[in-house]
Amino acid sequence: MAPSGLRAVRLIASLLCFVSPAAAQLIPIKTLPIAQGDQFQIFPSNNLGLGGVSIALPDSLGDPFVNPATTARLRASRFYSSPTVYNLSGNAGGGRSLPVAMLARRADWFGGLALVVQQVDPSRTPRQGNVVFATPNVALPPPPGGVLPSQDLRAHGNQYAFGMIGRSWPTSKLSIGVSALWTGLHALDGVDLLYSGSQSVVQTGHAIDVRIGALKEWEGDRGARSLEAIVVHNRFAATHNVVYVDQFWDPGLQQFIAQQRTDRNYDHTNTWGAQLEYQIPLPTLGWRIGWVLTANRATHPKLPNYVLSNVAVIPWDPGRSYAYQVGVGVSKVLGPATFGAEAMYEPIQSYTWADAVQPTATLGGDTIAVGGKTIENRFRFSNGVVRIGVGRDIHLEGSPNTLALQLGLMVRSINYRLQQTDNVEVAQRALRTSWNEWTPTWGITVRFPDLELRYRGRVTEGDGRPGTQFAVGVRDMALASGTILAAPSGPLSLVNVNTWTHQISLSLPLH
Amino acid sequence: MTFRVRPLCVVALLFAAACDETPPTATFPESIDAQLRRSIGPWGVVPIAPMPQQNPALVALGRALMFDKILSGNRDISCATCHEPALHATDGLSLAIGTGGTGTGASRTLGAGRSFVPRNAPTLLNSGLGLQYMFWDGRLSRFGPPVPDLNVPLDQSDVLAAQAMLPVLNRREMRGEVGDKDVFGNPNELAQISDSQPAQIWQAVMQRLVAIPEYVSLFQAAYPGVPAEVLSFNQAAKAIAAFQMAELTKTDSPFDRYLQHDDAALSIEEKRGGILFFTTARCASCHTGPFLGGQSFSNSGVPQLGPGVGQAAPLDLGRGALPNNEFYKFAFRVPPLRNVELTAPYFHDGTLPTLESVVAHYNDVPTSLQAFDPATLPAAVQGSYHGDQATIDAVLGTLDFQLRTPLHLTETERRELVAFLKSLTDPAARDLSALVPATVPSGLPVP
Repeated sequence: MAPSGLRAVRLIASLLCFVSPAAAQLIPIKTLPIAQGDQFQIFPSNNLGLGGVSIALPDSLGDPFVNPATTARLRASRFYSSPTVYNLSGNAGGGRSLPVAMLARRADWFGGLALVVQQVDPSRTPRQGNVVFATPNVALPPPPGGVLPSQDLRAHGNQYAFGMIGRSWPTSKLSIGVSALWTGLHALDGVDLLYSGSQSVVQTGHAIDVRIGALKEWEGDRGARSLEAIVVHNRFAATHNVVYVDQFWDPGLQQFIAQQRTDRNYDHTNTWGAQLEYQIPLPTLGWRIGWVLTANRATHPKLPNYVLSNVAVIPWDPGRSYAYQVGVGVSKVLGPATFGAEAMYEPIQSYTWADAVQPTATLGGDTIAVGGKTIENRFRFSNGVVRIGVGRDIHLEGSPNTLALQLGLMVRSINYRLQQTDNVEVAQRALRTSWNEWTPTWGITVRFPDLELRYRGRVTEGDGRPGTQFAVGVRDMALASGTILAAPSGPLSLVNVNTWTHQISLSLPLH
Repeated sequence: MTFRVRPLCVVALLFAAACDETPPTATFPESIDAQLRRSIGPWGVVPIAPMPQQNPALVALGRALMFDKILSGNRDISCATCHEPALHATDGLSLAIGTGGTGTGASRTLGAGRSFVPRNAPTLLNSGLGLQYMFWDGRLSRFGPPVPDLNVPLDQSDVLAAQAMLPVLNRREMRGEVGDKDVFGNPNELAQISDSQPAQIWQAVMQRLVAIPEYVSLFQAAYPGVPAEVLSFNQAAKAIAAFQMAELTKTDSPFDRYLQHDDAALSIEEKRGGILFFTTARCASCHTGPFLGGQSFSNSGVPQLGPGVGQAAPLDLGRGALPNNEFYKFAFRVPPLRNVELTAPYFHDGTLPTLESVVAHYNDVPTSLQAFDPATLPAAVQGSYHGDQATIDAVLGTLDFQLRTPLHLTETERRELVAFLKSLTDPAARDLSALVPATVPSGLPVP
């Protein structure tokens, strides 16, 4: 992997700030291979064990939370819960979510409610063996009368509230639904690691995801064709109060002291998105093919000034991004067997810049006026996603119960080119980098006559978390300390971690 | 299973393999701020916290003493004569001119029969930050055994106050010679006391002070409850130190703001100079720590100038003349660099007049010393330049090993280094004229 051009890390905010479990409509933009946990896998999904395939294979559990109109497919009201636990290897972090949801329909109307409580552990420097390589706190006294904060090792909670309502018109096979997801945020996984050397990061914020979905189906000889359309608006706003402990010389005490400093960072992104998905049955029995087309336009009124090693502190970082996704998928459901595969291509362009907060002299002798652009970053992504999954139902002899097994794999390939123009240094820099994230998935379902019990799991590898360069497994040597508190034993780097996610979902009908 | 899964799997894997990781590239250099912050990191350069407020009564007493010539034997020179606010708490001279001199600042001239103080008057700016060593040879130190002939009756940690006690003992600086008469034509009673009786000299100075009612009031305000008869020069020195800490601490330079995370505080040229300072130019190997110096001694290959010190006169061995410090022959205290732009001329004998000449000197020290042109010196000191080959060889013989090889800095780099050095200036230090009192309790002229 290439050394990360670490101004690029700013755009990781775009990944973080899509606070929505409905990832398909909001295309993630990721500029560093930083593992972020699986925080937003909060709603139940049937296809999670199949690599997450979705284009040509409907997800009977997850679709209503993505496209509210698909709740029309629900035959009866149901209660759901899907406790989900994720953790990162090396004791680097984790979290747990407990959602409860109810989807109901009455005549042509349908609706749903869901509440989720979530607890996210503080991110930690990954363990390598039994040794933690973390930057130690500076063991200096506070100034007279001062108090130094201790590191925040507490877990913090988020709350999610989801509501949805829709109507279907059976004669025309058309359904329309609207949904809203509100998130109260106090913990986005991994954010605290993006402020190198900080004692704690107090996060406050919220996200609102509003979407309108439509589902149109046409009956045919070989099965139904369907067209889904979604328009989504996502607003994310968070404040990070980052507490540092800085080293000073106290002329009164005539010795070094440590003083608390709090930086306030804002992370705002607003996204409009639209998606069309079309599925038709193929002539061969059981096969379906689908296409998906997604477009996002995101504006970033403010991206945080992360202090991640080579990233300089540049106040104000607005920007905008255009992300597209085209994909094709096939599936086959024949009797007890299920197969799905899909591939997507995601071209993304992103443009961010830093504004001058004061008249800034350039190396060329000019002066950039206040509000002028000091640094411009132009990203061009060419990402790809491949998902594949197989499943098999096994009827248990002499029992009305059914066992179903799932296996799947998702590979996300991230490639981008960054062209950075530094208008102060009158210089241009370029970076090309790429990496792959591999996510094997698995699942097992036990279907009883009156309820379904599912377990889904997945592990994502190919990412890392900031640690200290030590030995094998260290991915990125480019992350040198950017603060005046130097790392104690070498440059910071990304240490490989895997993200393990386990979800148990329960679905039972409400009679 | 009858599905044709295998081809799809192969396609998927091929797709993934085709997107395998790009080999590391070095096409994306660090930003200049990342480079500078990384280069600063190892040197312990940290911001300076605000100076605690000093007792206003102590500061008021210190101000009066600082500017009052009554402390000198001949009543003709005050501390501020050589540490003049208009010249940023120094005097602008290569070598200081003590008692008997006339005029102020760079136009000050030697009195008849007097000789120059052997060394440059260092600025008092930021002298109260907690420096470890005082004087060019560091003979007064917060650490280590005291120098035998410095019997300062003060806690060793209070070196700033201790330093203020010593110039009144020095005949060439403030006390005068036996037989001197003061500006009123009266005998100089301080000069009559033996050099080996510092306590009597300090007591005599105090007798002058407590004879003036205004000083008695100032002392009583600064030291309430202490009878005038038990006041000592220690208290006067502490007041001078309090004045220095309160009024001469200037640490809000652009570089200090940069240290406190304001990337916009420095220009690109200054940042480039900073990177050079902390890396290629090796400045930070001596100018390190929170004060950017002040913690060590170095033989920087400075031309020898002046009457010399001690037994080595007319040479000045610097710290090497102190007992058990032969290793430091021709080594002098590495000065702290904040506000260095304002405190020319430079080095222990003020031989280099500008920052540009200092950087040029460090670019190739041996050549600079060999080629030193005494014509660049003020006319009054040109005659005391010791440019003989033996002296030059002696200085180069113990030259700091890091200075023995040229830096090969380009003209642009030297300009950037100077720009960085100028970024160490606190704007508040540029004009200190407000510190000068209109009058002092003795009624002697100011300055």
